[in-house]
Amino acid sequence: MEQGQTISGSQAVIEVLAAHGVDTVFGYPGGAIMPIYDAIYGSSVQHLLCRHEQGAAFAAVGYARASGKVGVCFATSGPGATNLVTGLADAMMDSVPVVAITGQVSTKVIGTDAFQEMDVLGMSLSCTKHSFMVTSREELIPTLYRAFEIAASGRPGPVLVDIPKDIQVGQLEYKTPLQAVATEAAVDSAAIAAANELIRQAKQPMLYAGGGVGMAGAVTELRDFIARTGMPSVCTLKALGAVEPSTAGYLGMLGMHGNQAANHAVQECDLLVVVGARFDDRVTGKLNTFAPHAKVVHLDIDAAEQGKLRQPQVALTGELQQLLPQLGEALNIAPWQQHVAQLAEQYAWNYDRPGELIYAPRMLNQLAHKLPQDSVVSCDVGQHQMWVAQHMWFRKPEDHLSSAGFGTMGFGLPAAIGAQISRPDAKVVAVSGDGSFMMNVQELTTIKRRKLPVKILLIDNQRLGMVKQWQQLFFEERYSETNLSDNPDFVTLASAFDIPGRTITQSAEVEGALDEMLNAPGAYLLHVRIDETFNVWPLVPPGAANSDMIEDLEA
Amino acid sequence: MIHHLALTLEQRPEVLERVLRVVRHRGFRICTMNMTEQDDKFLQLHMAVDSDRAVELLSRQLDKLLDVTQCVVTTPSAMSQTVSA
Repeated sequence: MEQGQTISGSQAVIEVLAAHGVDTVFGYPGGAIMPIYDAIYGSSVQHLLCRHEQGAAFAAVGYARASGKVGVCFATSGPGATNLVTGLADAMMDSVPVVAITGQVSTKVIGTDAFQEMDVLGMSLSCTKHSFMVTSREELIPTLYRAFEIAASGRPGPVLVDIPKDIQVGQLEYKTPLQAVATEAAVDSAAIAAANELIRQAKQPMLYAGGGVGMAGAVTELRDFIARTGMPSVCTLKALGAVEPSTAGYLGMLGMHGNQAANHAVQECDLLVVVGARFDDRVTGKLNTFAPHAKVVHLDIDAAEQGKLRQPQVALTGELQQLLPQLGEALNIAPWQQHVAQLAEQYAWNYDRPGELIYAPRMLNQLAHKLPQDSVVSCDVGQHQMWVAQHMWFRKPEDHLSSAGFGTMGFGLPAAIGAQISRPDAKVVAVSGDGSFMMNVQELTTIKRRKLPVKILLIDNQRLGMVKQWQQLFFEERYSETNLSDNPDFVTLASAFDIPGRTITQSAEVEGALDEMLNAPGAYLLHVRIDETFNVWPLVPPGAANSDMIEDLEA
Repeated sequence: MIHHLALTLEQRPEVLERVLRVVRHRGFRICTMNMTEQDDKFLQLHMAVDSDRAVELLSRQLDKLLDVTQCVVTTPSAMSQTVSA
């Protein structure tokens, strides 16, 4: 569009999206956003109708996480905007770049309790990185540009722009703002030297990689650092895929449901190099017992993470792509490397399970080996999510979508939809549980609408499994509201959305059924019945140290 | 422990709510507060806050707010043993 042309505010919204390379928006129309829906009608920007605004927000999150691009969602005022909140909070906790655009009642009736009015700006304060309510036509285009910049820069996050209806219909001059060029902050060479000295002195160093590595596009720099130093490594849930799984000294995920080897190595280490991670309680267990002998070098883009939960000896705040190449050299730590290798062997997963019942960890490991190079696994939340993290492996962080910080049930299906839109050639598999699946089950219609080839692996133990596991272990087997044996017939349910599928119950059926699912031309639902007594092991009990993991009591 | 903070804020209708929300959520209680208009673009906010937590846990979160252009702690730090870049 030419500069200086007179257009409506709504047209300006679509122009700004197009200028930012947004090919698809996820949303749901309603009264106060109708002018924007009128402007997108027939425009170059595609829109995918989700069947609940929470689904639209998670689709935008999945779109962003699978591609690294900014995800965009639309919702109307009032209930439309309030339904976005869970998705925005999820994006906030996992630092996902999303721009949410909400319609608002007209400026002159704001504050009069108008129909479908809600103080969306006030509501957004705790669940966004930043938010705006546009108060004049002249502000509209600069505000939208700023929203995209804020969402993607620094530590990424969700940004909400609330646009009153009169500003959507008002005429304005199309003029793109001048964009500031980001200046690279200089890194303090004394701090780099101090970090290198600690790395050089360490006899038992460990690398603890977090989701920031992938968000910063620093996977290559991280892998180079590991190759250069030979430092053993562990990943958080969000970092899975950042370290190549066959890397020497890589021990997988640490924390509450981490691998025992990963937790023991971290507990024993004398130096922890923390890269883009934040000492989450699910990672550390009892905080003051976490890596008790370790000095800490903490690299993060966000200064507020330095010393928030663990005081580092050296804090390096800045771009990981810039910091990592300045750290590390070939280390002389052979005895430690051997010890770590021995731990890895000692605590390697064992998939031998007698009996005919389907063992979900083994099935997921089989699935990982069957997935093609270009694939995305989108998880829901609960036992299956931990099994995916433990027993699958990923080529890069963008291939594993999991609601890590917020732990939102209902994430998996709509996030898979977003991932399939941003990576149309990828094999996208939503791995869900019978509890989570029902939380955004309406999005099956969205799959049908766009004929998306999303595969759904539904692991069904007829229980709200993770809560049931805790009731069994820590609440005297008092199973309060976790029995879901009145679930619908999932294959019949899927068929109502033109999605074929089948149910399997026996171990011998797994191989063929996974192939059938992956080879299906369109969407497919594989319903897997597992025994409700299977739990997630090992486990750090709440309030315990990571060295006090407990193993399967029945095995 | 009481800490004193001096903030420069951009003039936005919601900026005070943003700051107060972070103060509460991060575990601090406001003892005294004084806000003045510097000009039509900026506000000056002085706060005394009380908490058992280190004041950096608050000041760094406030610094991250895009409408906070400056946040200075005028009381001594408990987190000074770290080498920082």
